[in-house]
Amino acid sequence: MSDSNSKTTHFGYKTVAEDDKVSLVANVFHSVAAKYDVMNDLMSFGIHRLWKRFTLDCSAVRPGQKVLDLAGGTGDLTALFSKRVGPGGKVVLADINASMLAVGRDKLRDQGLVDNIEYVQANAEALPFADNSFDIITIAFGLRNVTNKDAALASMFRVLKPGGRLLVLEFSKPQSELLNKAYDFYSFNLLPKMGQLVAGDADSYQYLAESIRMHPDQQTLQQMMEQAGFAEVSYHNLTGGIVALHRGYKF
Amino acid sequence: MLQLAPQWLTGLAEKALTEIIALDPAAQSRLQRLSGRQLAFQLTEFDWRLVLTATKDSIALNLHQEAVDCAIRASLSSLRQLRDPNQLTHLIKTDAVQIDGDIQIAQQFSNFFQQLNPDWQSHVARYLGDGLTHKLSLLLSQLAMLIRHKQQSLQQLTTELLQDELQLSPHPVEVTQFCTEVSQLHARLERLQQQLKLWQE
Repeated sequence: MSDSNSKTTHFGYKTVAEDDKVSLVANVFHSVAAKYDVMNDLMSFGIHRLWKRFTLDCSAVRPGQKVLDLAGGTGDLTALFSKRVGPGGKVVLADINASMLAVGRDKLRDQGLVDNIEYVQANAEALPFADNSFDIITIAFGLRNVTNKDAALASMFRVLKPGGRLLVLEFSKPQSELLNKAYDFYSFNLLPKMGQLVAGDADSYQYLAESIRMHPDQQTLQQMMEQAGFAEVSYHNLTGGIVALHRGYKF
Repeated sequence: MLQLAPQWLTGLAEKALTEIIALDPAAQSRLQRLSGRQLAFQLTEFDWRLVLTATKDSIALNLHQEAVDCAIRASLSSLRQLRDPNQLTHLIKTDAVQIDGDIQIAQQFSNFFQQLNPDWQSHVARYLGDGLTHKLSLLLSQLAMLIRHKQQSLQQLTTELLQDELQLSPHPVEVTQFCTEVSQLHARLERLQQQLKLWQE
């Protein structure tokens, strides 16, 4: 949570000025963009694909719908959505980071997905879209890096159509103590080394591990979504709570 | 981990389906007519409902319980009968199969899969050459015929064993005869009841 009095926020375990967080996060992703997909597969043993497919199933996407894939990074979810909404629908891949957006655009074009995808560099806290524009909004592994999460959720609520739904896929708190210990060992000892080896950048992956611990747990995020106006907010723990998928509707 | 197994399976099935459809040159044009339609299918024995979405070059798979163009619910036992169009009304009447939405979409999907004829030979021929592929193709169709033949003879053998040797199951003629006898008995009973009624009055 950001502290509004002193205008500081967390960047992993460090405390930084709120104005600096955006550029600090940006540096992390400029640094890892090229190796992002490889690292995702390595770090999660490929399970991140299943988490994303689960998100897709929970979206119940239909042909012709408009989808916003926020903090969409290298476009994994955008690719899945693009096929399903078809030529009558549209998917907007939005990310605050130009490097990630460029990698995503190249990847999707290589897959032949060009017809119904738009690319927008946008800040989740102030989305540059009209009110009630989207049937589905997803933010997968992105909310953690946003400086002001409440502003971001409010902004998503604004651009979502009535009847639409928001899906937040994010690292969360493992439910069993044993898993928690193993997971801590893995994230603080192995993860930065893997980052160093593959992406040549240990600090970014140290930040990843720290930012996961600083992210609100399942119940807190549920409350935050409810405060932003979302109704019928519920969550699914995936892989023992290492990741949670929150779903909320706008009515 | 088992929690995500259905997503893993649908992901794999979707990839396989895309490959198979890509091998059938005629499939693309037939898909165009289907494009943008959604069909859901669920077996009553399981919680999962499979949703098929026709896209421009493949069929995407998902698992959810929400609104689609046409939804079919059937039990495992009625699945075999579902292939026979004559049985369909009977199955719907007896609630063995429930269909919600546009039944034509279900038929269009069914037609698409029945007509799907992937030209795997020309794909394999790139690696094995034409001659070897032809032999392989011949071998496979002979194998399929052999299996079908064995299956038929096994079925016949089982029937004979159950009906004639072990006498565990009646012959169809015996069943018919038994049914006739039961209805004759029923008729006699009715007659007797009516006579009894007359005497009582």
